[in-house]
Amino acid sequence: MRNVDVVIVGASLAAAAAAKRTVDAGLETVILERKELPRHKICSGILSPRGHRFLLENFGPLPRETLHEPTSCRGVTFHFPCRVEMPMDFFHGTTPHLHRKYSDHWAIQRSGAEVHDQTSFAGLEDKGDHVIVHARRGGEPIEYRARQVIGADGPSSLVVRAVYPDYTKQIPWFFVGQKFHEIIDCPLSPDYFHFWFHPGLGHYTWSHARDGRQIVGVGFKRGDNFAKKHQVVEQYLKDKHGVHLKPADDDHEGCAENFGPSLINRYVFGKGNVLLTGQAAGFLNMIGEGMSCALHSGAISGEAVVEAQRRNRPVQEMYRRMIGSEVRRCSDQWNPLKIAFDRPHEADFPEALMKLSWRERKMVLRDMWNFIVLFKEFKWGRQIAAAALQRPLLGGYPVQKWL
Amino acid sequence: MAPDALQGIVRQQTNAARWNGAGWREFVADLRSAGVTLAEGTAATGIYATDAGGTAYSLPHGVLVARNAAQVATLLKVAQAHRVPVTVRGGGLTTEGESVAYGGVLLDMTGMSRVLAIDADAMTVRTEAGIYWHGLAEELRRSGLDYLSAPLNMTSSVGGTLGVGGIDVNSARLGCSADQALALQVVTPTGEIVECSDSENVELFQRVILGYGQFGVITEATLKIRPYTPLSMHYYYYSTLREAIEDLQLLDANDASDYSGILTIMDCAVNLLVAFDSAEREAAFKAHWERRLRGHGEFGFALCMAGHYALRPWKLGEALYLFKRKQAVFPEFRRPEFHRDGRMEDRTVVFSRAVWKHWGSRNMVIPDLATSTDKFIEAVERGNAVCRKFFPHYTLYCVGIRLRPEHKAHYEMSCVPPDAEGWAYGCEFEPMIEDAVYSRDHFQSFKNAIYDIGVDLGASYYRFGGMMKGYIRRVFGDALVDKHLAMKRQADPAMILNRDVIF
Repeated sequence: MRNVDVVIVGASLAAAAAAKRTVDAGLETVILERKELPRHKICSGILSPRGHRFLLENFGPLPRETLHEPTSCRGVTFHFPCRVEMPMDFFHGTTPHLHRKYSDHWAIQRSGAEVHDQTSFAGLEDKGDHVIVHARRGGEPIEYRARQVIGADGPSSLVVRAVYPDYTKQIPWFFVGQKFHEIIDCPLSPDYFHFWFHPGLGHYTWSHARDGRQIVGVGFKRGDNFAKKHQVVEQYLKDKHGVHLKPADDDHEGCAENFGPSLINRYVFGKGNVLLTGQAAGFLNMIGEGMSCALHSGAISGEAVVEAQRRNRPVQEMYRRMIGSEVRRCSDQWNPLKIAFDRPHEADFPEALMKLSWRERKMVLRDMWNFIVLFKEFKWGRQIAAAALQRPLLGGYPVQKWL
Repeated sequence: MAPDALQGIVRQQTNAARWNGAGWREFVADLRSAGVTLAEGTAATGIYATDAGGTAYSLPHGVLVARNAAQVATLLKVAQAHRVPVTVRGGGLTTEGESVAYGGVLLDMTGMSRVLAIDADAMTVRTEAGIYWHGLAEELRRSGLDYLSAPLNMTSSVGGTLGVGGIDVNSARLGCSADQALALQVVTPTGEIVECSDSENVELFQRVILGYGQFGVITEATLKIRPYTPLSMHYYYYSTLREAIEDLQLLDANDASDYSGILTIMDCAVNLLVAFDSAEREAAFKAHWERRLRGHGEFGFALCMAGHYALRPWKLGEALYLFKRKQAVFPEFRRPEFHRDGRMEDRTVVFSRAVWKHWGSRNMVIPDLATSTDKFIEAVERGNAVCRKFFPHYTLYCVGIRLRPEHKAHYEMSCVPPDAEGWAYGCEFEPMIEDAVYSRDHFQSFKNAIYDIGVDLGASYYRFGGMMKGYIRRVFGDALVDKHLAMKRQADPAMILNRDVIF
């Protein structure tokens, strides 16, 4: 049995950030990855400015192979059924269009941690002062003894299931899929990430350029039909935006998403010596960008491990006290009071709104409301309102709601 | 489009990658055969895991407590040959991890802490550079002498301070702490022991003073000293930063006081402190300048505050915090054991005790800005807005720093802003962490927001380690940084000494 200070499950950006902190502090750190690195990752790859800053400050300048073409993204364009478009540039200039297969591998290598790829997490036992991690490599069982374990294995986290077996049944699940099309004619600007507030298209509809093709992405409640949903969006783009695309290539892809915990402050941070971070913990920024909060929450989980070991305090106590800043950052983006009176996002929605005529503003707000109504069935409204009201009173979001 | 076409975030890696330990065993063996033995293992290295900032953690592979310049020279020669990084630490009061070793050797200078010679006729002292200013003060005061200016802090070392700047409440008159150095003994990154001053090895002297430890390890220093005097202190209270800063600059420009500075409780209670070495200077101030100050006395200010908060009952929490803070902090500056005949006997001890007791915490997060006189108010007001956004409670500490025209070469690419003439002004922005636990990312975001103001205003950063690697090119431009980088490469071919602090 291998005896280490920290085992991190998943070779993601959150894992790289956590490993960076623990390795820097001199802790022996092993990262377990199910696939062989570099591995494919389903993702738009449009990183927010804050995530870009984190990568630069912690891992250095991004090599060319970590980026798709176009290498950068200027901002986000919102589209509404009323046909109004709202392009919004990011506050801090263009941001990278990450090729997750290589950017994740690069960050993991830069973290300095030891990586055991093709090693699947199979379970864990928290013994109080250490954790036994069970894994499989090439079909053979393998065990690790670690002082702490960090689960950074994404929305369908096996570590979450190991710690909270019922959690996955308690939250609504979505399916997010994307298809890649050769372009015949596409008037949508390749400099922007395009997002549709259109209830008829689904819960999460986006498109952007990548490596000479156009991505058409759809998100919907799990159980619906990907092909049908995609067809509706493709037709809509053709009819309303003049986007002419060839039939989708064969390399379409999709995954389950736990969209929701960051809206209603229902994060899951682990138990005992097991910490959960990144999207496994429920972090997801508005417009579905999860990389920047994965980097920051991952780093905080690593810091918490270091702090706990140095101060001889329970790691959960450290983590839950330190993670508050990231919870505020993330949940503020969904907080209607923050959106109305502050600037929680990294592009200026209020300014873009004010550039529109009164008539257009009215139509946009009406369309946004109609889009929000699409989420009515999840009964998040009261929880979001309660969290928004508690935010100024508590200076943060109530920790009692975290698992 | 290439990755470097990404606009907007002009940054570098500031959280250094840990050195991989290549060739460590051979290095240790060579060093041992040269007569220097490193302490290894976590029992020896663990105490150096972080600095006063408490946000950067790492462990060196081995530690050497400095005993003499020859031993330091041997270490640097062998490290240069094996390309092993060496991080130098004095009191460890850096806030950005500059004195944290990300692998390699941690050279602890506190082993070199003897005062070598005091010359009361020439008013100079020769001391080993690992000594704390407080230890130096103890020795000098036995002879009725004092240093010129030093950080109000018990555990900052002479060598570390000369390398970064150092400020005191008398800096508006006597300059930054580094300006009192007359000569230095320096061990260069290639292991030569060299004496330097304004007349000997001038270029090395210019680079080592305010050089952030890039061009050599200061092992001994000759400093100017002065006769020791107790202080008579006066406090004036303001409710706006602008008025207090204008009055501070008025006093400094007219040489109206011997000591001056601003210490605040958020931006609600702004305290301008003024002090004097002699009764004559104090009388002149009272005759000519006191009535021009717009600040209130303690009682008058208390009445103003009572009226202010009576009209703003929703700010009751803030009012209670101010009151609680006043009750806790004010007596610290009036402790009878440090006062005799109404004069403060030892400002270092009084201020240091108060700072550690009421401002200190596990994390010393103190980003700062140094600007020219005319940009200072804007810098402080913008920094104050950042503090309000990030933390419920904080303090600001502002002082003037008299610049010496003959030291202009020392100031190049340092904490002294390039456009400052006569005085530079510095402000520290210090959150009150109290019992809260914040993530390093939260602190980093806060510091970035303050440092971004510096970039915007063309300012610099002063005090301990504010000169972050990620900001230096943005502040000084590529041409100047590349010039210093070329000098660094020449002086330190393997780039081993204090890596990742600036370059």
